[in-house]
Amino acid sequence: MSSQPAAVIGIGQTKHKKRRDDVSLPGLVREAAQRALDDAELTWKDIDAVVLGKAPDPFEGVMMPELSMADALGANGKPMMRVHTAGSVGGSTALVATHLVQTGVHDRVLTVAYEKQAEGNAQWGLAGGRSGGMGAGGIFAPWMRSYIKQSGAPEDIGWKVAVKDRLNACKNPYAHLQLKDITIEAVKESPVIWDPIHFHESCPSSDGAVAMVLTNEKGAKKAPRKPAWVLATAMRSELGVFPGRNNVRPQAGVECAHMIYDQAGITNPREQIDMAELYVPFSWYEPMWLEGHDIAGPGEGWQMVADGSTEIDGSFPVNASGGVLSTNPIGASGMIRFAEAALQVRGEAGEHQVKDAHVALAQAYGGSAQYFAMWLVGDELDAVAKKK
Amino acid sequence: MAKKTEDIAIVGYAQSPSYRQAELTEPQFLYPVISEALERAGVPRREIGFTCAGSCDYLSGQTFAFVMNLDAVGAWPPISESHVEMDGAWALYEAWVRLQHGDIDTALVFGSGKSSPGKPAEVFPLQMDPYTLTPLGADPVSLAALQARAMLDAGKITEDEMAEIAARSRKSAVNNPYAQVKGDDDPAVLLKEPYVTAPLRKHDLPPISDGASAVVLATTEKAKELTDHPVWIRGIDHRIDIHQPGMRDLTESPSTRLAGKNAGVKGKFDFAELSASFSHQEKLLCDELGLGKDVEINLSGGPLAANPVMAVGLTRFVEAARLIAEGGKKRGVAHATSGQALQQNLVAVLEAE
Amino acid sequence: MAESQAADLNAPVVGMDYHMHVQYHEVLCPVMREFADALMDKRLIGHKCPQCGLIYSPPKGYCPICVVPTDKSHELELQQRGTVTNYTIVTPVQYHGQEETDRFAKASLQLDGGGTLSLQDLLEIPVDDVRIGLRVEAVWASDAERNVDEVTNRSWGIGESAIRGWQPTGEPDVPADELPTNVF
Repeated sequence: MSSQPAAVIGIGQTKHKKRRDDVSLPGLVREAAQRALDDAELTWKDIDAVVLGKAPDPFEGVMMPELSMADALGANGKPMMRVHTAGSVGGSTALVATHLVQTGVHDRVLTVAYEKQAEGNAQWGLAGGRSGGMGAGGIFAPWMRSYIKQSGAPEDIGWKVAVKDRLNACKNPYAHLQLKDITIEAVKESPVIWDPIHFHESCPSSDGAVAMVLTNEKGAKKAPRKPAWVLATAMRSELGVFPGRNNVRPQAGVECAHMIYDQAGITNPREQIDMAELYVPFSWYEPMWLEGHDIAGPGEGWQMVADGSTEIDGSFPVNASGGVLSTNPIGASGMIRFAEAALQVRGEAGEHQVKDAHVALAQAYGGSAQYFAMWLVGDELDAVAKKK
Repeated sequence: MAKKTEDIAIVGYAQSPSYRQAELTEPQFLYPVISEALERAGVPRREIGFTCAGSCDYLSGQTFAFVMNLDAVGAWPPISESHVEMDGAWALYEAWVRLQHGDIDTALVFGSGKSSPGKPAEVFPLQMDPYTLTPLGADPVSLAALQARAMLDAGKITEDEMAEIAARSRKSAVNNPYAQVKGDDDPAVLLKEPYVTAPLRKHDLPPISDGASAVVLATTEKAKELTDHPVWIRGIDHRIDIHQPGMRDLTESPSTRLAGKNAGVKGKFDFAELSASFSHQEKLLCDELGLGKDVEINLSGGPLAANPVMAVGLTRFVEAARLIAEGGKKRGVAHATSGQALQQNLVAVLEAE
Repeated sequence: MAESQAADLNAPVVGMDYHMHVQYHEVLCPVMREFADALMDKRLIGHKCPQCGLIYSPPKGYCPICVVPTDKSHELELQQRGTVTNYTIVTPVQYHGQEETDRFAKASLQLDGGGTLSLQDLLEIPVDDVRIGLRVEAVWASDAERNVDEVTNRSWGIGESAIRGWQPTGEPDVPADELPTNVF
């Protein structure tokens, strides 16, 4: 009984769009999976097991879709699992796949996450099919207001994050929104959807899928391209609703981050981690998670945004890919964070590559900001030690 | 599969009664089940290293239904936790994998579901291919009937055998306080009933059930510390077959055969707890797993007596653990299934010390 | 399933509408039935956890933090006056079944004497005047109109068919620093 190193050797994404009418649900996941296999120079036969993740089934109206997707994902005769942990699911799914490799149960695991929002109605699903649905933004808006109040952040912080992520997305050919001309003024003037959140401070609704191939040390050594090593993994959950809960800085998020830091030997995340892909569906969540994961001190998260630290060329780039604010196939959004972090430490992020990205953090959250999944990846197994 | 994993043991288990229509909510009937499993294991709630649940939004008709089930766990302060949109048996599998890391030594697993609010013939077609099969209303009973017909035509079973399986299940269930359908029925009398969907009669079908089950797992060392009667998971594997029923030989279950082989199903077994939701599937599963006449099948009554979907597979582990820890049995098979006509199957070998 | 525009009969079919209809009927669990019965009597009840003292309304039948059961003996009647501790103003997205067209407010309330409620409707106040610290009181549907048809086992709110919402009392606002910071 032990844990052995695991690495990402293949990454594939679909082009994320408002609607992907050109592909069916299985076609969408297969597109991402095939690209991940191509990246790893493997074939379907090389895969030992498939781990699928997506957000609630009612979003597309397909119950337990792993059953009907087994054929498209080449899973016939293989183990297949379906993870669902709300918005964090993309992250949790990648972690379940990682555990299968780390424990030696399988040698090569394909993990896939998707959402095809245009083939159903997520807003209907979120509202439980009833009138008066508030959307996810309605739930999170008061907590963002609390953060603003508690931290004393100026109102333009949210606008700045919105602009930064959209401009980053223009460097990422897979990103859904390509808003070259976005400005602070445009974000500020866009309608308020859930006070205090403006339209341009919210994520879009996307069709898309992402896939990764994970393998052990032996497999990683044979891989055609540089692997991204998984340095730490953690999942943490808490009750979503109870009187007195700290919604701005959920304890499960704090603990999840510290589990990662402890495993990887990180004592100063801001210095020892080069960049992060954080789940930011509404702009204010960037400073909230920087503080909520102790990357920044209390009240310092918004200052990192204000001074440009989280820009793609800043000292701690956040969401160089454009993030959830630019691409949101809900069930895939978490895994896209994980895949983008891996892409960065492999040095294969293209135009949105962060310079000297050796250690990258990825995070996904879900439910009432109560489910957290994270991993830390590095370009070497001792990437953290090398930084000291 | 070369064995490179550690043996994990079941050290606690519990189940709710199988209700035709539970008056309580899912977290309300889950909560005492989880408490009982933890008490039996002697592990305080706060010391559990990992928690994993299995449930399904579409069953209860609520997006994020599983979030409410966290209430039953006591997820405050925060816990390390995951959820599969699958039967609790796959949650057990995820926890079994998680325990292989060796950094934690216990895990809590549960499965739960309320089938009563919806109609299976309306809900389950949504589980089929959305483009070609859902619009046809491909429901579990129709697909099982096609499978039974194929088996009858291939001479792999007779209607008499199906009735005997049903009668034996009901009779076994008489001793199971959690079962829903029980009684002493004469197979010959059962065969006089009309078909529901030919060639299936009512006795060939599972009941509609609400219910939950839970299991506590421990690593080798921890299990020995916790109990004198650990129930060892000697092997476990799961496999999936092609989805399109038209592309499968419904009289076979290659995924069961392969999972059984990888889990180490060979040699002598005292019993098997099989997720045979329809009478003919018991025969099919026994054939694929090579279980002979000397193996006692579904002493609990099985899914024909109690069928809380999303828990029913995990309940096979609960029943198997009970037979070994309390019933003096030495070695058994636990089986879970997902999808229609046995598309996906999980098999485990459980043993006493 | 994907929608298609049927205007051009010669255009290739890329999708079709498929509206599925699945009906669910779940019986109210005993504690929610007691809650619903109380609403019909214009009473608002909750359960107080015997261990930690937190008040849950609607009652759950257990405290999810202490994981202890609660029952009728832990029931208490809540006051029908309170203070807005946080709020959302929602611009309704038009999905299938959405009946709201105008912006509406949902508020978290700290009730006088203990207990909290989330996602409550505010009445008799323009949405732009909604603020933290606002004093409000319950507005009940008339005896003739009052029903609990909207109460389900998963009710977060209370259902406009029993309590229509909460209206300003006219009292001065409670200063923000006198309010708990973490009410839902």
